Amino acid sequence: MNDMVKKLKLRQIQDKLFTAIIGIFSIAMLLPLFFILFYIIKNGAAAINWHFITSLPKPVGQTGGISNAIVGTIELIGIASLIAIPLALFTGIYIKEFEKNKLAAAVSSLTDLLQGVPSIVIGIVCYLWIVLPLKSFSLLSGAVALAIMMLPMIIKSTYHSLRLVPESLKEASLALGTPYYRTVIKVMLPAAASGILTGIILSVSRVAGETAPLLFTAFGNPFMNFSIDKPVNSLPLLIFNYATSPFSDWQKQAWGASLILIIMISVLNIISKFMEHKWKTTY
Amino acid sequence: MNKVLKGVFILALLLIYTTGFAKSISFVGAGSTFAYPLYSKMFNVYHNKTGIKVNYQAVGSGAGQRQIIARAIDFGASDAFMSDAQMSKAPAKLLHIPIALGAVVMTYNLNIKGKLRLTPAIITGIYLGKIKKWNDKQIKSVNPHLNLPAENIVVVHRSDGSGTTFIFTDYLSKVSKQWRKKVGRDTSVGWPVGIGGKGNAGVAGLVKQIPGAIGYVELIYASSNNMPMAYLQNSYGNFIYPSLDSVTAAANTKIPDDTRVSLTDTPAPTGYPIAGMTWLLVYQQQHYLGRSKAKAEAFAKLIWWMTHDAQRYTKPLEYSPLPKNVVKLAENILKSMTYDGKAIIR
Repeated sequence: MNDMVKKLKLRQIQDKLFTAIIGIFSIAMLLPLFFILFYIIKNGAAAINWHFITSLPKPVGQTGGISNAIVGTIELIGIASLIAIPLALFTGIYIKEFEKNKLAAAVSSLTDLLQGVPSIVIGIVCYLWIVLPLKSFSLLSGAVALAIMMLPMIIKSTYHSLRLVPESLKEASLALGTPYYRTVIKVMLPAAASGILTGIILSVSRVAGETAPLLFTAFGNPFMNFSIDKPVNSLPLLIFNYATSPFSDWQKQAWGASLILIIMISVLNIISKFMEHKWKTTY
Repeated sequence: MNKVLKGVFILALLLIYTTGFAKSISFVGAGSTFAYPLYSKMFNVYHNKTGIKVNYQAVGSGAGQRQIIARAIDFGASDAFMSDAQMSKAPAKLLHIPIALGAVVMTYNLNIKGKLRLTPAIITGIYLGKIKKWNDKQIKSVNPHLNLPAENIVVVHRSDGSGTTFIFTDYLSKVSKQWRKKVGRDTSVGWPVGIGGKGNAGVAGLVKQIPGAIGYVELIYASSNNMPMAYLQNSYGNFIYPSLDSVTAAANTKIPDDTRVSLTDTPAPTGYPIAGMTWLLVYQQQHYLGRSKAKAEAFAKLIWWMTHDAQRYTKPLEYSPLPKNVVKLAENILKSMTYDGKAIIR
């Protein structure tokens, strides 16, 4: 009896010990994140005001803003989404619905491969594909580079979300005489919507912080630009340029721009968490 | 679903609409990081004055040269002039138009009172790895006024391809036969010793952090960070401090008509020895890729303004303005720019 109690106590201690270790490690993992956030907020908050968000960059010595970079980032992401989302949705549906098809299997593994391609390589490819033939750095070339980066993430999330839709739901729809394409559009996609949308938003927030694919495509621009065939600025590009400059006021603006970029990305992440809960279909 | 489609359609229409109406004249340029602060000031003033938008991106001198050869931009900018071999890769004749002068300074991290003096032999010795301690005999002999520590010298150089490196290694190749044979001059070279920093900012940062370090950066990167700069002995034998005047003085020599010349190791008595020009790279024949005559004229006017009125923006940003003889040469080069065989500026 005494032995049993002893063993039990030992186990309880072991249990607590492990809980504590796991807790400590998870907090330790979060520490870098908090340090990054703390640093950016500390240095960035001072740079941000209404003027900073709404005016164009100025040369050294005059206080300018980053409005062109904010608008440019939104333009780039918008057009990249227009290109990537339809393509990726169809590809995702294809590799789910024709899983046994050899081509679908090949597409699926190539998608994994695309995910592993470094972003700078995608930038160079878009430079060769779009910038050189058109003889101009452009919003379009930057958006295509970002779209290529978004593709694998959306394809994979579409595929996995569709797999979670029960087969019985699909069979019920088909049994009622609904054509196959309508079953996919009206039954399967809505049932998987929360997962797909989460994937889209996560891919958007992933590419919103990319600098490398934009260096030789979107290129940067000190002015506001709304044309698809002209260079455009983006927040990561602006941060890269300002942070490496020798002027302290540009470095300060780089901190401010970092904070704005982080806020934009966190808002997207919060929306995606919200959608995951709100639109989740359970069976 | 229908709403989404409609939204997409309207957005696409809007984009096509704005594309069609973006006809106002604008130029795109890229290259030299060294000249970036100056150009961003000039182009900002020019935009307020004329409404013409010039988009300049500091991607590095080497990249600027490549992009103008690819004709993806309207003008390149470089601190290193292109060799004949490099220019022959371009689809048409390229012109070099000088815009300003700059200096490469030796900055260091030493706890001493007073300014360090360096001779060509000492700099080459340090960068070849022969002089290893700050209290070396050679350094002591030209710095009798300093109490030099027995610290190790930490050599810092650029890790990326750069016009600054070109100017610096061009200088070392001129003052040292051994350097010319062993290392040579280029935008990036195989360094015998030292650690690399990315960009002028990277080198300045490393020198600031490492006691006993020495590195070369563009003048403004040292002065805006309050870093010490060494006096350098020029070919005349004088010790010269890097300043706007001593850099301008360096250009007071024989300069060829196409201005493709290095200003390092100048024979001018008061000239700073590691000085260089920064150029715009443009095509001589401006009628290419369907450019309009109005655009070519606006382009020539812009560059004329940069080499004349806009020279007053150089000094506040610690660049040296072009000396009169160089401005004259720039004028002649600009006048040689043509549109369908006719000069754009007369």
